[in-house]
This record gives sequence, C-alpha cells and structure tokens, in this order.
Amino acid sequence: MVSPAGWGLASFRGQLEQGQAPSTSNFQRPDRTELPVFRVPTPPARPAWLAQPRLRRSSPISHLAVAAAVEALGGGDRVPETPGLALVVCVQGGSVQYSRRFFAEALADPSTASPLLFPETVFNAPASHLGAVLGTSARNSTYVSDQAGFLAGLAMAADWLERGLADATLVVACEEADWTTAEASRLFSRRSRASEGAAAVLLRREIGPVELEGISSPRPFVQGRLPTEALTAIRRELGPAETVFSHGVRGAAGAIDPVFGDGLAAAGGWTCIAAIDALLQFRGKSAMALVAGSNLQALGVRFSRVHTAGELPLQPPANG
Amino acid sequence: MLFPFQRHARSPVRVAVTGVGIVTALGTGWIANAEGFRTGRTAFRPVQGFDVSRQRTRMAAEVDLPDRLPATRLGARQESRMDRAGRMLLIAAAEAWHQADWPAGMEDLPVVLGTTSGGMALGEEFFRRSSRTPAGRRGQATRVTHYQPQRQVLDLMAAFDFRGPSSIIANACASGSNAIGEAFERIRSGLSHRVLTGGYDALSQLVFAGFDSLQALSPTTCRPFDARRDGLALGEGAAVLALESFEHAKARGATILAEVAGYGAATDRHHLTQPHPAGDAALTTMSEACLQAGIGPSEVGYLNAHGTGTPLNDSAEAAAIHRWAGESVGQLRVSSTKGCVGHLLGAAGAVEAAVCVLALREQWLPPGVGVATPDPACHFPLLSGPASAEFEHVLSNSFGFGGANASLVLRRVR
Repeated sequence: MVSPAGWGLASFRGQLEQGQAPSTSNFQRPDRTELPVFRVPTPPARPAWLAQPRLRRSSPISHLAVAAAVEALGGGDRVPETPGLALVVCVQGGSVQYSRRFFAEALADPSTASPLLFPETVFNAPASHLGAVLGTSARNSTYVSDQAGFLAGLAMAADWLERGLADATLVVACEEADWTTAEASRLFSRRSRASEGAAAVLLRREIGPVELEGISSPRPFVQGRLPTEALTAIRRELGPAETVFSHGVRGAAGAIDPVFGDGLAAAGGWTCIAAIDALLQFRGKSAMALVAGSNLQALGVRFSRVHTAGELPLQPPANG
Repeated sequence: MLFPFQRHARSPVRVAVTGVGIVTALGTGWIANAEGFRTGRTAFRPVQGFDVSRQRTRMAAEVDLPDRLPATRLGARQESRMDRAGRMLLIAAAEAWHQADWPAGMEDLPVVLGTTSGGMALGEEFFRRSSRTPAGRRGQATRVTHYQPQRQVLDLMAAFDFRGPSSIIANACASGSNAIGEAFERIRSGLSHRVLTGGYDALSQLVFAGFDSLQALSPTTCRPFDARRDGLALGEGAAVLALESFEHAKARGATILAEVAGYGAATDRHHLTQPHPAGDAALTTMSEACLQAGIGPSEVGYLNAHGTGTPLNDSAEAAAIHRWAGESVGQLRVSSTKGCVGHLLGAAGAVEAAVCVLALREQWLPPGVGVATPDPACHFPLLSGPASAEFEHVLSNSFGFGGANASLVLRRVR
C-alpha cells in the first residue's frame, strides 16, 4: 500500500483514522500556474529493491506498484521469490509522467525524443517490471478501467484461481500523478484533488484470515451517468456489512476520497484494503468496499473475517 | 454477482465464432479484407493524419473511414464525439453483430476488448491545448473522457443497447489476442454463453514518434522474416468477434464460422522491449494453446506469425517456432500479415485472428509480402504468394512490449 499518507499500510490506516487529508503538493503547469495534488511523500529510506536493473529507468508508477506488491507479499525491504505468481494490474491514467514528457519531446523535435521514455509509457510497463522483479513468468495482465477496476480485477484473479491457472494471484492498482491528471481532475470538480499511489491484495485458494465473499454485478454508466439506484442495488446484492468504505459516493459513510483524493485505479484498491484492514484489526466480521468509478462502472465487494484473534497468522494472506 | 461464479457447465464448453467484423487499411469488412489478405496486397501510404515531416519514416497503413457510421442507437451528438479508434471499433462491431444475428438489448453480454492507446489522438489534443492555451477549456472535459478506452466501450454498449461486465486489456501488442483468449475462457469455463470481443487501435502521433525514436520503424519496407528486414510498419484497425458456446449457437440456428480451440498466455521477463532470443515465452504459449486444442504441430495447417519485421522479434519467433514444431517444422506454412497492413498494436491479435477465420472459412493461405531471402533462422517455409489449401487448424501468435505473449488456435467448422 502506497498512498499520499506514505509508504505502507500503517501510514494509510493512521491517516484514515485521523480523517484528515494530508497536505498537498503543487504541480506546475507550463504556464507556471500551480495545481494542488496529493503526492506520495519520499520514502523514509530508499528501498533496496529500487536497485533492480529493471527499475532504474522506470517511471514512478512502477516503483509504487512494486512497493505495494512487496508489502502485500510480506517482503519488507527484500523482494520475495514468487515464481508462478499471476499478476492482475489495474490502471486508469497509467504512466502519465513519461507519456507527457515523451509527447512534449516529440512535438518539440521528434529526432531527439527519448527512446528510453517511450517504452515506459505503455500501459503494461508497470506489470512487466513487476513480473520481472518478482521473477514470475505466469499470467500477467493489465486492465484499463476506472476506480472500480480494482474490484473487477479481484474477480478476474478469483476466476484464475478457481480454474487452477495459478495458485496465487496478486491484484495491483497503481497510478502516478502529473499536472495533466491534476488539470483533468479539475475540469470535473473544483474540489477534486488528483492523487497517486498503489494498492495490492494477494488472493490465494487456501483459507486465510480474510475471505473474499462476493463481488457485485457491475453497474455500468448509461448515457454518461451512473444511475443513482445502482449503489443501492449493489448493497442489496452483497447483503449487510458491519463496516463500509467507499470511493466516489457523495455523502457516504466511510468515504476515503475526502482524505486521499482521487487516486484513479489506486483509489479502488485503497478502498478494498481499508475494508480488509478493518477486518484484520478485528473491527467487525464483515466489511464492504463500494466504489463508484468516474466513467465506466460501479462495483461493490464484501469481505468477511475467518479467523479469531488468536488464530491470526503472522503473515496474513490478504493484506496491503 | 461477478463473484462467486455461477458457471453453467462443469466440463469445458466448445466456443464458436458466429460473427466477424474487420477494419484495416485494406478496407472495411469481410469481403475487402479477404480479397486483400488472400492476394497479399499492401496498404501503406504517407501518413495523412498527423505531422510526420520530421520523423525518420513517414509511411503507415492508414484506414480510410467511411463517411457515415453504421446505423446504431447512438445519436448524432454521440457519434460526433467519437474518435477515430472508437469509430473503427464500432464499424467492426456492427459487422460482427449483424453477422452473428444477435439481438439488441442484451442485459448481460460481457465485452472484452484489447487496445494499447484507446483514443490517444484526443489525449494528444488535450495536452496540446492545455500546454498552449491554459485558460481555454472548451471541449477539454470531453477530450479527457473520450480519450480513455472506457469511453469506447461505453459507446459500443450504448450503440447496441447491451449491458454487462466489461474488460479492457492493455497488454501492448498482445492485447487483442489476450482479449479473445479471455473471452474464450469465459465461455469455455461456463461463465457466459456469449461474449463480444476483439481489439482496436488508431494511429497516433505519440505512438508513431515512439516507435520511430526506438528506430523500430522500417525506413524501407516492412519485410517480416526476410534476412534484410529493417523494422516494422505501423497500421491501424479493429476486429471484433462474436463468440458463443456451440450449444447456444446451434440452438438458435446460427452459422458457425470457426471454433476457438486453444489459448496460451505467458510472460517473457527478458526485457521491456526485447524478446528472449530463444523465444521461451512464445514456446510456452504455442504449446499451451495447442495442448488445449488437442493438436500437435503437424496438425497446424497455417501459422500466422507475430512477425513484425524487426530483427529481434522475427529471429526470436523463428527460434521458438523451430523449438515448438521440432521435426514438423519443415511442413509448417508460415506468414506474417503485417507486411500487408502493418503492425496494428492492440488490434493486431484480433485482426489477425479475424484473418485466420476468413482463411479457414474460405480455405486460402495468407501470403507474406516482401520476403526476398528468408532469414536463415526460418526452418519453415514462408508463404509468399496466393494459395488455396485444405487445412483444419490455424495457430496465431501475438507478442508485445513488456513480454506479453499470447497464442490462439482456431479450428475449421464445416
């Protein structure tokens, strides 16, 4: 888990409990006006895995993805060996910093546009780096969606597990902020703040402390709008939950976007991890994440706690 | 509910192709593309859509879009906001939809699409305007929403009034094959009776400049597997397949055009842009797809290679084909259709799968073009001219940046 609150689940949890947004940073536009953004702070210590050759030229989005993945796998500062681990990576904006830089270079003078930047602009660059760092050649797919894409990614991972295509699947969402995303966000809401970060949840077929109980049917946008009854229908479909976290649902309890801003695909991951973490912290036996994406669909997911306090493994199979 | 899964079958379900739509620089629709690919016609010209005057190379296979979109439920305002990529996707989808004879208003039809750049041209315009005239916001919100692939999916759903789960796969140049593979797996595993799937990508300045910066674009002509090949050529297009279970297709009396019989996917960890020289992941995907289809290399009547025309891709793929086919390698019939329409990136796998359906259905072999001297790494015959043949299975390869590798097996259905 990487968020504007910092690197790791503990900082996210602390910020969420405070209920206050972290301070913003400013991105400067070409005309030198500034756009406020929730950025991920510099890590307290440089992670050792950043020295991996595949990450030397990669964009921040790949670093954030690897950081979240390593934490979810229980790796700490070292990268755990995970051959056979399947990867589902969810993005919405993707590698916007390198895309913006490369296109600006190409417009200025194509003959000097950097060939080092262009490959990093591809949507699946973070997934590729992640697979290389984790040493897995198993299935590795990148999905472009909105904030609710992470929940669809969980369903995809569960399908792969159920069909025996992998023993474990890591679902990752990652985004990096840029003045272009901040500008885009501002077009839709003056109050909206673009943010960045990553989230990762490991799904395994075995019993763990938290179980994925259900993912709702998707409620797609119709005529550019999400029907208001969609979220009610999702709640009804999933059944009651003691704790609810949400993103993109105006006025809802447990809303994380006022604290963390709009982290695009990562926001869906943060919402799910907030629900999972509530269960790991023994705050109820069931928790729901409700995510209304900005331009494709709304989805909900319900998790339940399987183990009691005394049975909680030291390395929980599902965390962020 | 998306999960837990409600599968309607316990054993693997056979998957039929009942509709195909295709748009390439060779033309729009089955007939134009069948004629073009069967005869090995090339469709490159100087790029007209954006400024390439300062690029190393200036050619690509651009699509001439028809003046009017097919009649759907989209209004004139919605159509006017669609970008080039979305228009190609809609045209291909309409052809597949009508050929499959599916009804409008399907409540739970999943759609699985592959793309690398969605409506990138709109994103580029957003950037230009934001950079040059920061205060001018007119149309910028529309550009932001319509450049994202989600918009093209929503437009497609609105056009035919269907709803259901949607997936947009962006595994670089394997995206289209991965999309068809995932759609195939949904039906095969009993999750859905029908899925609309395919891939699409339009040429864009950023991507053109990107490949040019890598010096991956051919300054001469795209000649996959030729010993003197010097790069790829870019193209654009879309292909959509209507997939459904055999049981479902037969029950409604649909014409089954072909069967999707196998799918393999793996990741090449060697490098972000370069394949493993021996094609390890490609070997895995070809083997997996054929194993699932229950066939060996000797039963593959035509192999549609990824064959980009870059020195590294073609030699790695040739090595992988040799390792996979073993003693049968000399009997294979191989070509890359990228010599005709260029590399369609996220659409490539879908368009090539569509070409394979056309070829299987009409029993012709798509020739490669431009091969004067085959690369010595090619231990297989390269198709170099129009030919008819009787064959039952096709294997189609797609490999992409980031090491995304996918293979599909298609089977003839009489």
